[in-house]
Amino acid sequence: MTSTSTPLAGTPAPPRTRPSFLRRLWWSDTLAGWAFISPTVLLIGLFGLVPVVWAFVLSFEHNDLISPGRWVGLDNYRKLLHDPQFANSVRNTVVYTLVFVPVCVVGALVVAAALNRRVRGITFYRVAVFVPVVTSTVATATMFGWLLDPDFGLVNAALGKVGVASQGFFRDPHEALMSIVVMTVWGWLGFGVIIYLAALQSVSADLLEAAAMDGCTRWRAFWRVEVPLLAPATLFLVIWLTINALQLFDEIFVTTKGGPVGSTTVVVYYLYVQAFQFFNGGYASAIAYVLFLAILAVTTVQLAVGRRFSYGGR
Amino acid sequence: MAHPMSPPALVRPLPDDDQTDGGRRRRPSPWHFLLLPLSLLMLTPLVWMVVTAISTPAEARQFPPSLPTSIQWSNFADVWTGSPFGRWLVNTAVVSIVVVISNLILCSLAGYAFARLRFRGSGLAFMALLTTLMVPFQVVLIPTLLIVKSFGLIDHLGALIVPNLVTAFGVFMMRQFFIALPPDLEEAARIDGASRLGVFLKILVPLMGPPLATLAILTFLSIWNDFLWPLVAIQSPENMTMQLGLSTFQGAHLTDWPLLMAATLMSQLPVIVLFIAGQRVFVRSIASSGIK
Amino acid sequence: MAPIVLEGLRKVYPGKQPVVALEGLDLTIDDGELVAFVGPSGCGKSTVLRCVAGLEKLSAGRVIIGGREVQELPPGRRDLAMVFQSYALYPHLSVYNNLAFPLKERSVPRSERDLEVRRIAEMLELTPLLRRRPGQLSGGQRQRVAMGRALVREPMAFLLDEPLSNLDAKLRTQMRAEIAEIHRRLAITSIYVTHDQVEAMTLGQRIVVMRDGRLQQQGSPAEVYENPVNLFVAGFLGTPSMNLLTGRVSQGELTAGPLRLIVPGAPDGDMILGVRPEGLIPATGHDDGLCLEVVVSHVEALGNENLVHVRVSGSDEAAKALVLRSPPRFSPRSGEHVLVQVDPSQLLLFDLRTEERVPITGPVIASGDRHTVA
Repeated sequence: MTSTSTPLAGTPAPPRTRPSFLRRLWWSDTLAGWAFISPTVLLIGLFGLVPVVWAFVLSFEHNDLISPGRWVGLDNYRKLLHDPQFANSVRNTVVYTLVFVPVCVVGALVVAAALNRRVRGITFYRVAVFVPVVTSTVATATMFGWLLDPDFGLVNAALGKVGVASQGFFRDPHEALMSIVVMTVWGWLGFGVIIYLAALQSVSADLLEAAAMDGCTRWRAFWRVEVPLLAPATLFLVIWLTINALQLFDEIFVTTKGGPVGSTTVVVYYLYVQAFQFFNGGYASAIAYVLFLAILAVTTVQLAVGRRFSYGGR
Repeated sequence: MAHPMSPPALVRPLPDDDQTDGGRRRRPSPWHFLLLPLSLLMLTPLVWMVVTAISTPAEARQFPPSLPTSIQWSNFADVWTGSPFGRWLVNTAVVSIVVVISNLILCSLAGYAFARLRFRGSGLAFMALLTTLMVPFQVVLIPTLLIVKSFGLIDHLGALIVPNLVTAFGVFMMRQFFIALPPDLEEAARIDGASRLGVFLKILVPLMGPPLATLAILTFLSIWNDFLWPLVAIQSPENMTMQLGLSTFQGAHLTDWPLLMAATLMSQLPVIVLFIAGQRVFVRSIASSGIK
Repeated sequence: MAPIVLEGLRKVYPGKQPVVALEGLDLTIDDGELVAFVGPSGCGKSTVLRCVAGLEKLSAGRVIIGGREVQELPPGRRDLAMVFQSYALYPHLSVYNNLAFPLKERSVPRSERDLEVRRIAEMLELTPLLRRRPGQLSGGQRQRVAMGRALVREPMAFLLDEPLSNLDAKLRTQMRAEIAEIHRRLAITSIYVTHDQVEAMTLGQRIVVMRDGRLQQQGSPAEVYENPVNLFVAGFLGTPSMNLLTGRVSQGELTAGPLRLIVPGAPDGDMILGVRPEGLIPATGHDDGLCLEVVVSHVEALGNENLVHVRVSGSDEAAKALVLRSPPRFSPRSGEHVLVQVDPSQLLLFDLRTEERVPITGPVIASGDRHTVA
């Protein structure tokens, strides 16, 4: 009798071997993985990726957003280079950013240092500094529009009390942009303070005690120990505030609408006007992409400088 | 086990400025000289808004200004009746709540998948996600408008909801959270036979409280205060959100300051009240957005 | 280098339930002496250190260093240096700059600073690491930098707050020897705080045992080990800890379970009898009141000796667990009945109620022997 078994005709074939355990695990992970992320991927793909590419395409078109667009190649970008209004908006944006960011960062550091203690009523002080952060841009702009009203505003009244003439603020081409700075610093200071406070509180108390033992007064310990340790927070704040400053829009729209005499027209506002008042969708997209590249470049530079400082610091 | 999202605990209490040791005498700290004026300065716009909101137009027009003699409640009533203020409030609330809930669910699922599950294409998908994070909104503004238009959602609350159902930032944040969690708990559950979804629901969801709170707050704030997108996507007054409505209100009542301030005050009240009530959570959420 | 005098130190943390962290501490530390403060957590040892350092303010008392009263001075002006448990190295500064920091604060000119830093680095074998940052160092290296930063100022006294507790066992033994060596060489008055009694016993020229803010006993390691003044000190020092049995003294005779001993000078009353593991030996033979019948629970063989864990059989001491140290050849099996003997010269008596040590004025003998003496 032979020992090998051969299936007899008519008997059913033996079942296939089940996939190995690991294989099943891999499949279940893959299935689960895609199940978990598919709505997200779909939505972000549709509203994140597709628009990015589409905008890029748009920037090479003449498109009024209603009728189909017409390909014009690099025309829009060439126009940008020679557009005096665009140049003006860039100038305003840069000036704004160069004033807003340092004032906000330094101010936030000073205020955070002051708030980082256990004084009676510290909660009140902190809330007072933080509340502006949650107010909306529109509300802030409206409040400041009233405060800085040249005729009836509180600020001019106060200035009058100390013998200073009434200022034009939002109506004065020389003051409008700086008024915007003041307003946005008010709105953002609390954010910086929150960031710095968190960073200050993560400085181990031991380090400050060691500095005390080494002979530092609180003042010296602050500058020689705490502030250097705040470098990462400072870098983050500079980058974040710069990105937001370059994208300034809401406040301009609500208060000055780019005026007076174009002194507060910033890049995003110019973009908005081009897209929704002049229906130059393609041109606006080109502006948007230039802004994008600028933000990318600035952030990269800041990161590089920041890295240098972390390692090179004494 | 310290929670990955919680702020670091202090080793020793902060320097105590107000008291001498032993609690014998209480000298007020010199810091009050800086903190008090600063706080008053920061609160002035808000306080002045309130003052003007309860004034009459005549009182507001006084220069130099003075405090009103009585509270002009009619300002608030006028805002409510003279504009779709109530609708704006409801619209904004609906949009915010739907978006927040949707984000909480989708960002956690996606964040978990990217953090823990190994599957083909996950790396690519995540990279794509990251790139969208880097692009400013103004770039995608116009195409998104066109896409929303093609769905017929223009001038509809859906236009405000659908593009925001999930944000790349939220996914990123939740992924960071899951990565920081020690895998022990999940591995124990899987050895006990739980499925992936089971592990997620039974083990992880209870732990997600703090990051979800952070995500909820940040998402809520960004949607509630959003302006540019509603400005572009909505035209009819009944469909406007609070911020958009407020700006049109401002445009219409440019010189009626008390009315305008009343409107502004009412629009900010919900958020300010929420903030003061839960300021610890708010502050912590905002602080952790800095941990990139 | 200077003597340190602590007079009537008292520290209370105010609040709804004020916490007395330190009470009535008086101690004189001689010039160049290393005193180890030891005790369980919360005993106040760290509080003493921080008060001497000036990181906390005393509620009452004086701290006199080198003849100068310092309790009102800020920490930087007391001419003290401290090594923190967490090392507290400045993460953004290199090792060189960490070491130079205290000198910079004192406006020491650069050339002198450089000499000092290099000298200390040399002494602590840190020279190749000078350019690195603390984040790039191992635990042991960081510990040495912390010590270096403290030493670089040549302070009048040296404060060490559990400097070795973050190191693994092997490194700890190594660093212990290094600290001992540094102290021998520099002879700086030092206060060393630790919860590890082995560290305290080996490094301290004198030990101070603390509990609940009060000084329990101070003396040389041998003194405190062999002559504890109370039950707490007796139980705290020594591993494994002292064996304790309850008993009763009546007319000079102590009865503790099957033990019957003459304890001259001891007053009547309920007592606790203490004998260290090395004071229990396998019985040599006959039962004369010095012996206990025990059941072996388990034996821990350490190589050079055995720790035999036993339970007293019979009597109301049924649950009493004891440990004895024995040479490796004595290795009974679990469950075996064995006779052990108390070495009368290593016996200590404590009052059951007050937990204070009861002095014994004469040699302790088994009461069974009394008959043979006569």
